[in-house]
Amino acid sequence: MQKHRKNRNVAIIGIGQTALSSHKEDQNQVEMVAEAVRNALEDAGKTIDDIDCVVHGNMELFEMQFQPDMWHALGCGSYGKEEYRITTGGTVGATLVCASDNLVASGLYDTVLCIGFEKLQEGNTTGGITNMADPLWFRNLQTGALTSTTAMELIQKFGKERVLRAAMKYRIMMDKHAMLNPRAHRRLGLEYDQMETLMETSPQLVGELRLIHMCSQSDGACAMILTSEDRVREGTAKPPVWIRDHETSHREENMSNLYGARKPKSTHRDCAERLFARNGITDPLGYFDVFEMYDPSAFWAVDWLGEFLLLEGDEHLRLLEAGEFDLDGKLPVNPSGGVIASNPIGATAMLRIAEAALQIRGDAGGHQIKKEVRHALASGFGGSLWTVLMILEKEPNW
Amino acid sequence: MTVGVGKKRVAICAVAQLKNDPDLWHTRFQGMLLEILEDLQRQTGFRYGEGGVEQIVSVSDDFLDARTISNNGVQDVLGGQYLAEEKMAQEGLNAIGYANAVILSGHKDVVLIMGHCKESQGESRNLITNCGFDPFYGRAVGLDYLNAAGLQARAYMAKSGLTDDHLARIVARSRQWAAKNPYANARETLPPGKVKASPMLCDPIRQLHAYPVSDGAVGLLLASEERAREYTDRPVWITGFANAMDAFFFGDRDLTSNFALKKAAAKACERAGIRDLKGAADVVEVMDCYAYQQPMWMEGLGFCGDGEGARFIDEGGPGKYRVNLSGGALAGNPMIIAGLYRAVEAALQLKGEAGDHQVPDARCAVAHSTNGPAGQFHSVLILEA
Amino acid sequence: MSRYYGTTVDDIFDTMPERFQPQEAKDVDVVVGYECGGEGGGKWRLKVREGAMAVEKVEGDLGPCTATVFAADAETFIGVTLNKIAALDALTSGKLRITGDASLLMNLLPRIFKPYRVPGPAPVTARDIVAGMADRFRPDKAAGVSLKFAYDLTGEGGGRFTVAIADGRCRVTEGLEKDAAVKMTMEASTFVGLMTGTMDATAAFTSGKVRIDGDMGAAAATGRYFDRYVPPDAPRVEELLSLKKVTSIDQRFATGPVMGKWFAGLRERKLLANVCPVCRRTMIHPREVCASCHVRAGEYVELGPEGYVTNYDLVYYASPDPLTGAVRDTPYACAWIMLDGASPEEAFAFEIKKEDLPRLKIGSRVRPVWAEKTVGSFRDLLYFEIID
Repeated sequence: MQKHRKNRNVAIIGIGQTALSSHKEDQNQVEMVAEAVRNALEDAGKTIDDIDCVVHGNMELFEMQFQPDMWHALGCGSYGKEEYRITTGGTVGATLVCASDNLVASGLYDTVLCIGFEKLQEGNTTGGITNMADPLWFRNLQTGALTSTTAMELIQKFGKERVLRAAMKYRIMMDKHAMLNPRAHRRLGLEYDQMETLMETSPQLVGELRLIHMCSQSDGACAMILTSEDRVREGTAKPPVWIRDHETSHREENMSNLYGARKPKSTHRDCAERLFARNGITDPLGYFDVFEMYDPSAFWAVDWLGEFLLLEGDEHLRLLEAGEFDLDGKLPVNPSGGVIASNPIGATAMLRIAEAALQIRGDAGGHQIKKEVRHALASGFGGSLWTVLMILEKEPNW
Repeated sequence: MTVGVGKKRVAICAVAQLKNDPDLWHTRFQGMLLEILEDLQRQTGFRYGEGGVEQIVSVSDDFLDARTISNNGVQDVLGGQYLAEEKMAQEGLNAIGYANAVILSGHKDVVLIMGHCKESQGESRNLITNCGFDPFYGRAVGLDYLNAAGLQARAYMAKSGLTDDHLARIVARSRQWAAKNPYANARETLPPGKVKASPMLCDPIRQLHAYPVSDGAVGLLLASEERAREYTDRPVWITGFANAMDAFFFGDRDLTSNFALKKAAAKACERAGIRDLKGAADVVEVMDCYAYQQPMWMEGLGFCGDGEGARFIDEGGPGKYRVNLSGGALAGNPMIIAGLYRAVEAALQLKGEAGDHQVPDARCAVAHSTNGPAGQFHSVLILEA
Repeated sequence: MSRYYGTTVDDIFDTMPERFQPQEAKDVDVVVGYECGGEGGGKWRLKVREGAMAVEKVEGDLGPCTATVFAADAETFIGVTLNKIAALDALTSGKLRITGDASLLMNLLPRIFKPYRVPGPAPVTARDIVAGMADRFRPDKAAGVSLKFAYDLTGEGGGRFTVAIADGRCRVTEGLEKDAAVKMTMEASTFVGLMTGTMDATAAFTSGKVRIDGDMGAAAATGRYFDRYVPPDAPRVEELLSLKKVTSIDQRFATGPVMGKWFAGLRERKLLANVCPVCRRTMIHPREVCASCHVRAGEYVELGPEGYVTNYDLVYYASPDPLTGAVRDTPYACAWIMLDGASPEEAFAFEIKKEDLPRLKIGSRVRPVWAEKTVGSFRDLLYFEIID
């Protein structure tokens, strides 16, 4: 495995979010994007004149706006600047940060602004996701991103009672985190003693997947500002957060080979293996201080924790049951409340990186982890089980 | 701004293109891209994975494909199986700009670019570009990229003295060259009189001033300087790339100013270390979807003075500077990858593989693309042998 | 009483008889139970049968119901009824629960009952609006105008009126004056709708709700000389508009030679896979290239037709078709099936026969059931059924 190389180091110096909600009639798309950009510039203590290049992304058919970066030039501040529009589906928010990291590291751009957004309320989301499927065949069968096949597989492996409880434990933990994060969209005030009731009464969507397990639909935008090490040395308004490395793993569209008699390796595990190997990380559970994971449903979350952290057997379940992913656990997962609480799709994956960076800065407010955060992991999810992983560091330690 | 940190260079090792066609009804996107993939594999013998292609940059559009995440359906052909793939969701020339940065950053050494588009699939490309305007005003008044171009054409013709006669000559010349390019869509020769007799599409743009509906696919293999020789004996070097954005609302723009193109060209030249592009370039490929755009974009690139587009044509500028010897976008390339086709043609010239339209001993080439309504966004790529 | 959002749970049930639309309930036979906890709550039983309805407050057991709604408290019940609380959020948090046939509540009830509205002050009448016209007259906009127009407003709260504009003054009188340039005839409720902005003027004219006798231009001009009518109880906030538009662009998708073979196979009731020449994976449906080996796969084999289920999605919540809005009947199941003869990498996805759903499990043996006439389309396969 080749060692990780970087032409020059890159840090996150500005983070801007809008409030996340299911209704944003008070803003059009451009105004919403502009709010995130203004917040990011203010956070970084920069003006739009300091930005060399803008990177923009979302999913066009969710809002039915063709090449939205043209209209959004008004809100992005890209007038007279260089600009890229790079997308990858649900992963897009994370891809935008990866791309911005590449652009700064290349030496061609010093300071890059990236923006991910979605106004899901302006379209039909499940329909939009279903439109992802092959028009000739699978579009007739798919129901958006709603599936319980992972729940079925977990139940086959670990037993129904344990899996249902694990999913509910995860869900209530996420809500408890969201309650501490005023920006989160869904904050329900759930308690662990509601577990049994919710397991029975929450409306069933697909198989064991109930409404309580699934992420929300939100409107919102996130913007981040990245700059080169030289510029960081000139001084920053907030502590810089270093992007150490990132990796992406895609797979074919067709889901057929996920459910055959022989299981393929998951993209999550593949991505984590490649990224950790070239960065010499052998014990991810021990190394990272926080993990912001793109968790569209509670069952996926439970399963993916094992994949991303390269765990074997039922270790991820044991850790979850023992509270090791809680805010004060061994590796806190999604102090922000995660995607289950807020999901403006084009911004969602960037929010994972933003929230991980806020933890490193010690700037997360009510949901700040108590112990010091030096090493953070963030993931994005999209496409047909595509994944993006990024490692953030408090110091450039590689 | 730090330029050329690390003094590394990135090479285009191989290019492949599908013949542009008015209606590839008999094949899916997967089939189109598979031909590109096999062509590139034949040329270079590349493999996917560690030590080979580790990153793919695709080019396509959700609207044009009528699929959310248009790169998803073609992932198997792109080769993104347990690999990194990212989609350039704007004009494809920018995929080269981005892939160049990916390699310079040290993140990945070998990048595959694959783009596809079928304009014939949708009922009307104008319905799609209408959705490129804001939903409240622009769409409601019926703007699309064609009538945006109509507004710009009228303004630029008034400023530069360009006439219907000039436009007819531009189209006739494009077809003469397209006849020598086996990959062009519209290859039958067309006398200027016939162009002038074609019906008005969007006054002053006539039907034959506009590029024909086209389907196509393109691929390129890029590598760092250290790795390029594994794939080719004739690398083409990316020495300069830049793009720039103009304002969105027409009221905020001077449609004839070439604001964004001039910015992009200046930056690309700065990065390439070129002072005088006009003197340096041996061939130029501009994305001229409409006839008036060829002199206008050439003006923006600095090949003639402000408002001198008509004189540029009268004095034989397109011949002198070897502009669009492929036939250009006027001979038919689909949206989203028309600029990528320009880069492929420019690279073929520098490799000496341009066939019947080859320029002897070309050392430096310019490829240009534009995106958005009436040239809101421009990209400029400078290649050297 | 516990009042939330300006009303009580009791009022919602008390107004049900007047909100009932018997013509929508002809073939309906349901009993719906409602249980609302906390202060101001209670239990109600709603019966709808063959175009008639009855609702009663119940002490003790609700008895057998087609569907039952449980709300944690009056605030939840009223909030959800008035759309002030998102039903989805209430369901998610458990403050709202539904047992029995949930689709009944989402689809049937909204059809047979008009939506509940919070009782307010007596509604404004057409007569009130006309009477205020002189006060809303704008002499600056009517300089030099001399115009007489008449309203014939039928039904409750209506009347006949003539409005005369001359010399910068406006006079409203009861009755139809003969020399009016134009007479506009409509129901009084239509007039109120137009003036309060709840009805679209163009739609009212084109649908014939408004009849115009006389000078059409004069009729169109009348609005210019008056300030817009504002209901006395209207809150003084900025109005937020949103634009509703369905964007649709027709597409013609190519099948290409590979998918073409697949569809041709379906026509002959064969499930065809193509085989990767390198890894021998059988791809179903066939694809142009093997994603793992990056090679063309030109060899075709017939799989199945029988196989076993490896996993499945039993869907209770069907998403609406983004273009047609049609929603599939639930529940239905999409199952992954290892067809006999397939390589271990790949299963085939399809729907399972509705009647077989209760006994569907991982490992079930299934076989395809074909349409009577196969034409080479998705619909050639009806479903897979369980083999006993």
